[in-house]
Formats: sequence, C-alpha cells, structure tokens
Amino acid sequence: MKRANYIFLLLIAGLAAALVAAMLLGSERVSVFEMTEQGRAILFDIRIPRVLLGACVGASLALAGASLQALLRNPLAEPYLLGVSNGAALGTLLAFVLLGDVAGARPVMAFAGAAIATFAVYQMAKSRAGMNVERLVLSGVIITTFLSSIIVLLTSLLDAARLRGYTFWLLGDLSQATYNGFYLTLAAAAAGTIVLSSQARALNLMMIGERDAFDHGVEVGRVRIIIFGAASVLVGTSVAASGSVGYVGLIVPHIVRLVVGSDNRLVVPMSAIAGAIFVVLADTVARTAIAPRELPVGAITALIGAPLFIFLLRRN
Amino acid sequence: MFDLGFRIWDLGLIGMKCRSVEWLMIFLVLTLAGSMLVACDRQQAEIPAVAEMRTMKDDLGRDVRLPEKVTRAVSLAPSITEMVFAAGAGDRLVGVTSYCDHPTAAKNIQKIGDTQSPNIEAIIAVRPEVILVSTASQLEAFASALEGQSAAVFVLDIRGLGDVADRLRRLGQIFSSGERAELAAIEFENRIAAVKRRPRAKRPARVLLQISEADLFTIGRDSFITELIERAGGMSVTADIPGGYPKLSKETALALDPEVIILSDSPDNLKPNDALRNSAAVRSGRVYRVNADILSRPGPRLADALEQLAALLRQEPTGN
Repeated sequence: MKRANYIFLLLIAGLAAALVAAMLLGSERVSVFEMTEQGRAILFDIRIPRVLLGACVGASLALAGASLQALLRNPLAEPYLLGVSNGAALGTLLAFVLLGDVAGARPVMAFAGAAIATFAVYQMAKSRAGMNVERLVLSGVIITTFLSSIIVLLTSLLDAARLRGYTFWLLGDLSQATYNGFYLTLAAAAAGTIVLSSQARALNLMMIGERDAFDHGVEVGRVRIIIFGAASVLVGTSVAASGSVGYVGLIVPHIVRLVVGSDNRLVVPMSAIAGAIFVVLADTVARTAIAPRELPVGAITALIGAPLFIFLLRRN
Repeated sequence: MFDLGFRIWDLGLIGMKCRSVEWLMIFLVLTLAGSMLVACDRQQAEIPAVAEMRTMKDDLGRDVRLPEKVTRAVSLAPSITEMVFAAGAGDRLVGVTSYCDHPTAAKNIQKIGDTQSPNIEAIIAVRPEVILVSTASQLEAFASALEGQSAAVFVLDIRGLGDVADRLRRLGQIFSSGERAELAAIEFENRIAAVKRRPRAKRPARVLLQISEADLFTIGRDSFITELIERAGGMSVTADIPGGYPKLSKETALALDPEVIILSDSPDNLKPNDALRNSAAVRSGRVYRVNADILSRPGPRLADALEQLAALLRQEPTGN
C-alpha cells in the first residue's frame, strides 16, 4: 500500500495545483495582490464557483465510469454508452421545457431520467440465464440512440431562440456555474465516493466472476442496485449542472488502472480525484483558448479524450 | 463478355465467382448509361423559351437568368420577405419560411419550411420562377437540388444598414415594381439620414447588446448590429470580438462594465446576466428591451431599430 499512498498524495497535490492554476487563469486578468472590487467579483462570483463545479463534475463522472466498468466487467461501460447520460439530458430538457425555472427541477428530473434509463437498460439486459454483459452494452446502445432521437425531436420542436443555449449545454458547458450547483454536485460526489468505495471489495470479487463473488458472500443483486443508483445520482447531478461532458468516465478510470492496477479500492477513489483534475484543466482551456469567447468544455474533453483512448487501446 | 486477353477472376480476386463479376459489369454499364441519360436530360432542360429572359447579377456575382416578368417567387428568409413587401412585390410571393411573420400579409403565404431546413418538395410544388436566398451556404444546398427545375436561385446578401436601399431598388428591377421600390428606398435613406442629423451626446455610450441571458450570447465584429449601435450614437463594447454572435465570457462581461444594456427581446432574455448586476447600466437603470425581429433581420425595419436605439441612447440615466 506504500506506493498507493504516494500516488494518493501526488493526485491530491495535482488537484490542488490544478485548482489554483484554474483560479488564476481566465479571460480577464485578476491580480491577487492588488485586489480591486471588480477583480474580487470576477474571482469569487464567476471563476471560483465554475472551477469548483468543474472539479465535482469531473469527480462524479469518473466515479460513475470507474464503478460501472468494474461492475459490468467491460472497459467500455460508461455513463454515455449505457444511456445514463442521455436519460439525464432528456430529463433536464423536459424540466427546461415543462417547468422552466422552477428551483431544483433540473437536477431532480435529470436524476429521474438517468435512473429510468439505467433501469430500462438493466431490464432489457436481464434474461433467463441471468444478465450477460454483451446484452447489457447492446441495450445501452439502443437506449442511448432512442433517447438521442427523442432529444433531437424535442429540440426541433423548440423555438430557435430558446435552443441556442441548449445546444451549447448539450455539448457540456460549465459557464452557468453557481455556488448552489456546486454544493449539490459536491454533496453527490462526496457521497458517491464514500458509497462506491465501500463497494470496492465486492466489486473486486465480482470482477473475478459473479458466481465466485456470490460464493464469497457478496450479495450481487444488491451491489448492482447500489452501483446503478449511485451512478444515476452522480450523472444526474453532473448533467443538470453542466450538460454532457464526454469521455471523462471512460478515459480517467483507464489511466488510473494503468498506474495502480485494477484494485477497485484504489481505482474508485483515485478516479474521482483524477477526474476532477481532468475537467478542471479542460475547462481552463475552454475558458481561455479563444477568450473572451468561450468553448464548451465537452469539446475539449472529447478532443483530448478520443485520441488518448485510441492510444490506450493500441497500447494494450 | 469482353475479351481482355485474360479473365478478371484471374487477377487474384480470390473467391469472386464468374457470375458475380458479370453482374458487376452489368451494374457498371447500367449505371454509366443511366448517368449519360441524366446528362442528356440536363442539356435539354437548359433550353427554355429564351425570348422573355434577361440576366441579372446577384450578390455572389453570379449571372442569374430571370423571366422578364417575375410573377411567382419564393423567399427563404424573413428579412427578404420584408424586403420584397417593401419593394411593392409582396403579392408575387408564393412561398415563404415559417419565420416570415411580417408584414401581416406574409403570414397567409404558403409556408415552405424554415430558413435552415427548407422543404425542397414544397418549394417545387409552388412552381416559383425565382427563389430568393440570403446566404451562400443556403445556395449550395439548393443549386444542385433545383437544377433542371426552371426556377432561378438569386442570392440577396444584405450585410447591414448600407445595403438595404440598394437591394430594395434591385428587387424593384427583379419584380418590375421600380417606382414603389424607389419610394421605399428613398424613405429608408431619409430616415437613416434624419437619425444622423439629430444632436447626440459628446461621448458615445458604451453599449452591451445581450442576445440571451443565461449563455450571454452577444454581437461581435461581424454583426451588422455593431454598426447599427454606432450609427445610433453608441459604441458596442464587444465590437472587437471576432465573429458575428459570440458567446461572451462572464468575466469579460463584468470587466467591460457597459453603460447601457440592450436586451434583444425574447423569452430567454428578459434581464441582464447576473455577471452584469453591478454594471453601470444596471445601477443607473439604463437597461432597455428592443424587439428582436427588427434588430436581427437585415431588412427595411432596420430603420425602426436605428430610430429606437438612437432614442434610447439619447435618454438620460434615470438613476437609483
């Protein structure tokens, strides 16, 4: 465990450095030493909540990805592939269209959408012979594309003026960060880390085989429900706050596993920290690359994530 | 089959049976023949009744052949629909987009889809002689689909205030409604000139035009609204940002500290973004809403927009 401790320390130091760097960089220069009233407003009202929200979104998505991959014994299992994200996106869109600005409507509807999508995938994947992984991934793809088509249908019916921001949001965008959004995702990410880490031993056994895990006293069905439930909450809160930031749940756990191996007691909490670092840095690029204009952070994570993923695939 | 001195299946196309190669050949020959037929057909389609045609240059510099008397036209942009009505030829429009809601008579014209995705079948069904499009990108989508139809595609690219009078006259030529168009053009020019003559503040007010509240879309260097604000006696604080309608960073919006905020009126844009809550504009109460249609459509109502903006920018801060 000694090496693992070092890596933990390194990750935490990396997160701290990323947070500080992200808070110092932005479309406007803010001098920390000669703080003006305007500088204070930029830093505390706009930049810091956004950076912190980015960290929590990254942690949540990476946690959901890491635990789903372990549970389904499939390296491609990811909130997007399984339709969880699209469920959350559709829930948010419905909240946006039907309920407007009702406080709390978006995260609740996003969670409901994520949970329903997860449940649907799970039900489709179950067969008499138990649940097999290929079936599950296939069901995920079907649900994902089905939900995508509903989203496209709804957005075609919306009037153009209201859509403008929504298309940006669909790509993953942190520009509407607020402290309230941050508190909510922080609570979800913290709870998610604790709950999922507590299942890490069971996940380790299930990765060997569900029969073996069962023989070791793991309640396989219960673990599944906990993981699916936690992933739905994590993805729901993230998507409601920042849209669909892609590739985080896929790429981050992979890199963590390359470094520390496949012990989920390490992979799950480390993915959370690494995911936070990844999104914080990606959003810093999104905020500054073409300043004072902005890019959606999801475009940056995909831009980094897709080639990295291909590289990892070829290496293995 | 053709004797090539060798058989195609000797070339190493392992597993390909003789029969399938023959089928492939038949397929190729038929495809070739078919495309030749289509080519012949196109050549024929290019010889309509020549006598009553004339040629006019459109805004891409293309020579477009038009009938001497245009009686059926389709407009693919709300701004163009307004222009055609202003030029006195609204009764010639047989198809418009679903966004074309001004003047009121435009609402009763057959809808042929919206600006981004017009329905080609619906356009052909109303048998237009001319299709008026606003941008080059729209043209690309149409040119090939409408080739062979007898409709001409005319690009009318109105970049801002300075183009309106000229394009009104051009439409007058297209629709042979020169007198009405000339009157509309002169009226437009007079209204613009009148705004210019009015007294204005010594220093232009620093204006932020907000298109949507939450995402903070605004106007950039390439938007004609930037020029509109300048002519109205203001100065857009985002005039240097590249692009037409950029999404502005909240930090920059806060730092720009505009003196006047103009909200392009729409359901998602009812108040200034939260980042602007301590701006000079909000503190002095200089936040105004302007009808989004007159602001965003480069057509005859730009004169209305200019007059309204000029009046707003002359107002004194109410203060609070």
